[in-house]
Amino acid sequence: MLPQRESYSYEMIRSELTWVVGDDHVQTDCSEKLAHSIDYYWVPEVWHDRGLKPQVPTFVVHPASAEEVSKILQIANTYKIPVTPWGGGSGSQGGALPMYGGISLDTKRLNKVLEIDPVSMTVTAETGIIMQQLEWEVEKAGYSTMHYPASIGCATLGGFIAHRGTGVLSTKYGKIEDMIMSMEVVTPTGEIIKTLPVPRHASGPDLTQMFCGSEGTLGVVTKATMKIHPIPAARKFHAFLFEDMHGAMVAGAKLMTSRLQPCVIRLYDNAETAKLIKRVLGIERNGSYLVFGFDGEEAIVDLQMKKAVEICKETAIEDLGTDMGQAWWDHRYKFFYPPYMFQLPQAFGTLDTVATFANIENVYWGMKNAVKEQFPQATFIGHFSHWYDWGCMLYARFIIDNPPQDAAEAIALYNRIWDVAIRAAIKNGGVINEHHGVGLKLGRIMKDLYGPAFNVLEGIKKTLDPNNIMNPGKMGFQGV
Amino acid sequence: MNMDKYLDVINACRFCFMCRHLATLAAVTGKEADTARGHALIADRIRMDKTELANADYIRTIYQADLSGSCRKHCVSSYDEIGLKLALRQDFVEAGLAPAAVSALAKEFTDVQFKVSGNGDMLYYPHPCIEAHQPEIAQAFLSVVPNVKVIDGGDCGKVLKLLGFAKESQAVAARFQAAVKASGCKTVVVSNPAAYDFLKSDGAMDGITVLHSSEVLLNSNLGSAAKLGKLTFINSDFLRNYQECNAPMDLLAKLGCEVERFGTNGEDSYACGEGSMPGIRLFPELTRKMVAHVADMAKRFKVETIVTPSPFVKHALTTYAPELKVLAIEEVAAAVKL
Ligand SMILES: Cc1cc2nc3c(=O)[nH]c(=O)nc-3n(C[C@H](O)[C@H](O)[C@H](O)COP(=O)(O)OP(=O)(O)OC[C@H]3O[C@@H](n4cnc5c(N)ncnc54)[C@H](O)[C@@H]3O)c2cc1C
Ligand code: SF4
Repeated sequence: MLPQRESYSYEMIRSELTWVVGDDHVQTDCSEKLAHSIDYYWVPEVWHDRGLKPQVPTFVVHPASAEEVSKILQIANTYKIPVTPWGGGSGSQGGALPMYGGISLDTKRLNKVLEIDPVSMTVTAETGIIMQQLEWEVEKAGYSTMHYPASIGCATLGGFIAHRGTGVLSTKYGKIEDMIMSMEVVTPTGEIIKTLPVPRHASGPDLTQMFCGSEGTLGVVTKATMKIHPIPAARKFHAFLFEDMHGAMVAGAKLMTSRLQPCVIRLYDNAETAKLIKRVLGIERNGSYLVFGFDGEEAIVDLQMKKAVEICKETAIEDLGTDMGQAWWDHRYKFFYPPYMFQLPQAFGTLDTVATFANIENVYWGMKNAVKEQFPQATFIGHFSHWYDWGCMLYARFIIDNPPQDAAEAIALYNRIWDVAIRAAIKNGGVINEHHGVGLKLGRIMKDLYGPAFNVLEGIKKTLDPNNIMNPGKMGFQGV
Repeated sequence: MNMDKYLDVINACRFCFMCRHLATLAAVTGKEADTARGHALIADRIRMDKTELANADYIRTIYQADLSGSCRKHCVSSYDEIGLKLALRQDFVEAGLAPAAVSALAKEFTDVQFKVSGNGDMLYYPHPCIEAHQPEIAQAFLSVVPNVKVIDGGDCGKVLKLLGFAKESQAVAARFQAAVKASGCKTVVVSNPAAYDFLKSDGAMDGITVLHSSEVLLNSNLGSAAKLGKLTFINSDFLRNYQECNAPMDLLAKLGCEVERFGTNGEDSYACGEGSMPGIRLFPELTRKMVAHVADMAKRFKVETIVTPSPFVKHALTTYAPELKVLAIEEVAAAVKL
């Protein structure tokens, strides 16, 4: 039972927390609690928009070291109150929402860059650092993390680790789990542990990977060492228009299966080409827009580019050239700013799925047809973002321009669309999801996705977190 | 309500995270509430429930906002997150809800009279910042550009504007304008970027050109500043983010200084809350934190001498980090005058 404000136990917990982090860093004021009640999940947004009472944490606590995190978790265990890590709050799955009140453990004071190692080409930093700030520090030293997500300005290193996030150059440089060498974690019972210092070893299962994607349910990641790269001498782009998504997908897959090494490929279906590409890049065409880029030594970039252009020319209906490729790169974040981004009063959701090349189009059509048939009021658009040797990610979206005004009705409709679309994806060989995580939004589907293997995850959770204090009710784990 | 003019900003910012990395105060408090998103959420709750205007937590958060303008400048659509906060402050004042400390400070800046002295075609307005005790800046400027009239007396209305006292701000601005008119000068030169911004916006005067001191120094007879060693430049938020005035950088380039930009990037504000100058009086602890952040970076990046076109930045840094060596841009010019 959570302590009520103006109760002895509330004051006791507050006192203990202030002894750990100082008065300034335990907030109970309305401003800070309000800001911690809404992340990038559409449901708390609509909740707020309709004037409903925000679901706020009891305390917002800002620790500045792993030791302070450890003490906070010990207090939480003593009083059996939930702790929800909060990085930038930019997650789209409701992962950082303090659903049951308790402590919102905001990591943003853990923001130091600790070491840049030019010999091994790594950087070690605390995980509450905003990714853009980390990238700027690394760039000042002459390198880059090459982690360029659209949320680089708002999300933390720890948030990306917790959600297995990804950046626009993932095709060459990998997702965050490929970039991380090792990490420090405070376990739910308050132990401060370190994973092995290198990511390739044969010393048993890899703990670094276990904590990647754990969404604050298995502890708080407090430090991480990640790879850094030289700034490439050249980075070049090229864009093509294909008659339809299938043609573009075949070309994109061929770039990957011929083992060229693009740093990025992005393919927009006809609907998104007509809507977003037109709006942001000003290209008014019927068809599917495909853009790709290479970076590194200029001679190698040019050679790979030549080969990639040859592949696309075989089936493209228009060569949009390098300018329309460069323009996409230059405006790549613009899609995410208002008014270019979807926003209320619209209802919208990013149906992030990943599958092999053999399955990915079936996943797309399975989702699209399911949404179209059952929800004629919804528009379905999609692009394919992160490409691998074996398949790619589908960044599909549904949009409803005028969802019901009543919050309960709107949320019910929203949940229903998600359910139908995601189950269609799983049925066609898709995995939810590629980089947004599970959170509150998709927790209910985890058992279906994993089957009996989910018991393994539950076992790990119960062992590490016997009092279920860490982010309860998320990722399909038990709530309070 | 004044904030109703900013409904587009509320709608855009309330769920937007895109400029959070540039939220100057949030970078040192770690607080979500100290971001453009946090402020818009507060405005939105007030919009939906007017009784929330009296919420003391909300009032405090809006008054402690740093107003650096980095977020608005970064924003692809330039949503006026600053205008929203100033409108909210005005709403608090008009509803009689301004905190006592704010009202007391406003009173100090209300009874201002201006007087003009000296001779020349240009009128120099040296009022440095919220704390009027930086005579070295005016002396430095006047040593390079001596033949000017000087207008003095206090702040020309900017502080009141920042505190939400719009009517009172306009009354002071009118007095300032009358004094300028009486001087017969058609050009006003200011050292304080806050005044520069005010006199180019809310306090603009018909037929009067307003220049920052660096714009005048650019055309003065100055030698090479290379002898001053490596200088690290901290810009003014008002010059960079509000008025896009590049004269200080142009001046340093012309003087042949070895100049490096402070910090890791060209977007962050290192001006320690210059945008909301009275904050140094109302929330000194927060200014101290912003200064500590800058001082820590200065140490890590082995900064020798900081140069700034903002008297506020010099004042804040030398008050809370006296170990830092800080020069106003006027002092650099004075050191190399021919
Ligand atoms: C405009 C926009 C664009 C986006 N684009 C991308 C993109 O390109 N790529 C991408 O991957 N994502 C993107 N996202 C989603 C979001 O940025 C990511 O999910 C990111 O990983 C969230 O990080 P955060 O710091 O904001 O975490 P939060 O939202 O605060 O938290 C996310 C989850 O991680 C947990 N957590 C946070 N920090 C820690 C920690 N230190 N230890 C343990 N658990 C922790 C929280 O409890 C929560 O469960 C975007 C979001 C927005 C708003
Ligand atoms: S100012 Fe622009 S970028 Fe910042 S929160 Fe508002 S809309 Fe987003």
